[in-house]
Amino acid sequence: MNPIIAKAIEEGRYKLLEHESFELLRQYNIPVPDFALVQDIDEALRVVKDIGYPIALKVVSPDIIHKSDVGGVILNISNDDELRSACERIRSNIKEKASYARVSGFLVQKMVPEGLETIVGATKDPIFGHVIAFGLGGVLVEVLQDVSFRIVPVSEEDARAMIREIRGYRLFNGYRNMPARDEEAVVYIITRFSELLSDNPNIVEADLNPIIILERGKGAYAADARFIIGIS
Amino acid sequence: MEPQSQVQSDKSVELTITSPLDLLFNPRSVAIIGATPRENSVGGVITKNLLTKFKGKVYLVNPRYDEVNGTKYYKSVLDVQDEVDLCVIAVPAPAVPKVTDECIRKGAKVTIIISGGFSEVGEEGARLEEELKKVALNRIRVLGPNCIGVYNAFNGLDTFFLPEDRMGRPKPGPLALISQSGAVAGAILDWAARRNIGVGLAVNYGNKLDINEAELLEYLAKDSRVKVVVMYMEGLKYPGEGKKLLDVLREVVGIKPVVVYKAGRTKAASGAVKSHTAALAGNYEIYRAMLRQAGVIEADNLTDAFDMAKALATQPLPRGNRVLVITDSGGMGIQSVDALDTRGLQVPELSESLQGILRKQLPPLAVTRNPIDLTGSATDAMYKFVLDTVLPTSYVDMALIIALMQIPGLTINLGNYIVEARRFNKPIVVVSFGGNEYVAKFESHLEESGIPVYHAPHRATKALWALYEYAKIKGAIRGWVA
Repeated sequence: MNPIIAKAIEEGRYKLLEHESFELLRQYNIPVPDFALVQDIDEALRVVKDIGYPIALKVVSPDIIHKSDVGGVILNISNDDELRSACERIRSNIKEKASYARVSGFLVQKMVPEGLETIVGATKDPIFGHVIAFGLGGVLVEVLQDVSFRIVPVSEEDARAMIREIRGYRLFNGYRNMPARDEEAVVYIITRFSELLSDNPNIVEADLNPIIILERGKGAYAADARFIIGIS
Repeated sequence: MEPQSQVQSDKSVELTITSPLDLLFNPRSVAIIGATPRENSVGGVITKNLLTKFKGKVYLVNPRYDEVNGTKYYKSVLDVQDEVDLCVIAVPAPAVPKVTDECIRKGAKVTIIISGGFSEVGEEGARLEEELKKVALNRIRVLGPNCIGVYNAFNGLDTFFLPEDRMGRPKPGPLALISQSGAVAGAILDWAARRNIGVGLAVNYGNKLDINEAELLEYLAKDSRVKVVVMYMEGLKYPGEGKKLLDVLREVVGIKPVVVYKAGRTKAASGAVKSHTAALAGNYEIYRAMLRQAGVIEADNLTDAFDMAKALATQPLPRGNRVLVITDSGGMGIQSVDALDTRGLQVPELSESLQGILRKQLPPLAVTRNPIDLTGSATDAMYKFVLDTVLPTSYVDMALIIALMQIPGLTINLGNYIVEARRFNKPIVVVSFGGNEYVAKFESHLEESGIPVYHAPHRATKALWALYEYAKIKGAIRGWVA
């Protein structure tokens, strides 16, 4: 079993912490923005020298499900002063809005440039096993249900077909003043994600949301990730 | 390789006559446990079917009879002296485990359990099914229980317990049907028989205690008499089954086309699916994903499935998506363009030089751009001229021919011209619509010569679309990277 998942199970956690999720993605070469887990502001100031601004700062806690709801996320931090105050603000927000929560540390994460937001998700179906879903991000997609599915293992060809199947695919080829997007980078992410799921049958649910797709040739990143582990 | 031979000469493996699945479809001898002379009872219809049609030995088993009309009845299958390849069981559910055990002791390798009253009726039935499973496991292969069994038009094996005057039997032909529902199978065979569509093999697996869709597909892929498999499914039942089916489907699709209609697509229908065959409808999106991943052609209903299958069984694969439309009705031509465009097929305008050649021969009112509208003054010869001039060119990949036979210029001879155009090795489908005898004669002439006929442009379009989809899967399309 993957040590990250083993550790979660050992600690009785059914959800991976954010940095664990990113670490798992990294193991499968799925591009994630540079990140580091830190304990305090001094450590944050040290790691940011490598990562570089702008960054996002996020609280890491096994007890908080929606970090932004309790003021646990601050985006677009662009210098040391902003970082210091962000750190303090998150601490006081948590004290005020989620006093029950244990804080394991902070995630320092490089901000990704803007791009087309998409979602790659997975569930585990009793009959079919892992099933991967792909769709554009945002509220509109929930309303339109513009999502395609494939059963793991998903080949490159399958991944390409599932991307082209959604109605919003036109956005990949550029629309009005928006540039064409790096479709092959998403194909790569989906196939690597498929392998990650095949190797880890304990994962019962996963979301890479959003996946930011840059211009053609510039890649795509999983900017956020969530893994749910089945503890049997 | 020529597209035609890709459909028709599949890499079929020689049948080994000893495997249980072969014996299920091609037994040399059959015992009916629960045979009876009582007409229109389940056992009675099966008894009559096999006695009158089956090309093999039939043994009737029922302790209540010794002999009826000169045919011997055995007390038990164990009393039969000769070998029994297949046991058909149609006795009340509580007696099934015991007679199944007798079939095993007799040495039969496979059984069709027609009887209902198992997991589909609740807890007590489910317990009985478990008991049956223990008896059968690793000792005999089971189709059913709660099924209508097998129809084999080639050898007359027919366990469909619906009387012949209520359910017509289709002639032998290149289509095979796997149906999760017995009643649906009966109705579709009746429908096919009436329309002279050849369905050589049909099978329904009921509660799926043992033999499942995947195994039936594997068998049908190997049987070289089958050119296209049509499948009606509501939902899978067992954990992990989906992946196995996906793997098998992918393999079969490499050998011959598979057309699937999956019912129970909506949340509203999932309860009905569960109570019907104890299957989970699950998320239809996942089924659709599986079908697409496997390269299966998905139909929206059963008639669509057979419309497509008919074309897949008879036509070569196209090398592109451009359709030549020839019509004697402008209105039908427009309907066809709508339908084709919706399915992603093109109706390309013909080149000026080609149109010039057409204009020289056709009456001044004819439209030559494509759709080619020969108008109400169309004749057989005009259709032939357009077909022979345009279909072989590199501008088009297939033809949709609309022939409304109500106009006096068209005769049955048009059928011959269309059949002759098969030599261009491009798919041809015909739309004909009407009610008189002459129309019926024209249509059956075409169908018998391997040209599928449809009664509406949208149906013919779906058939061409299915050919195009399968061609993509088989890599027969120019410049298409699958």
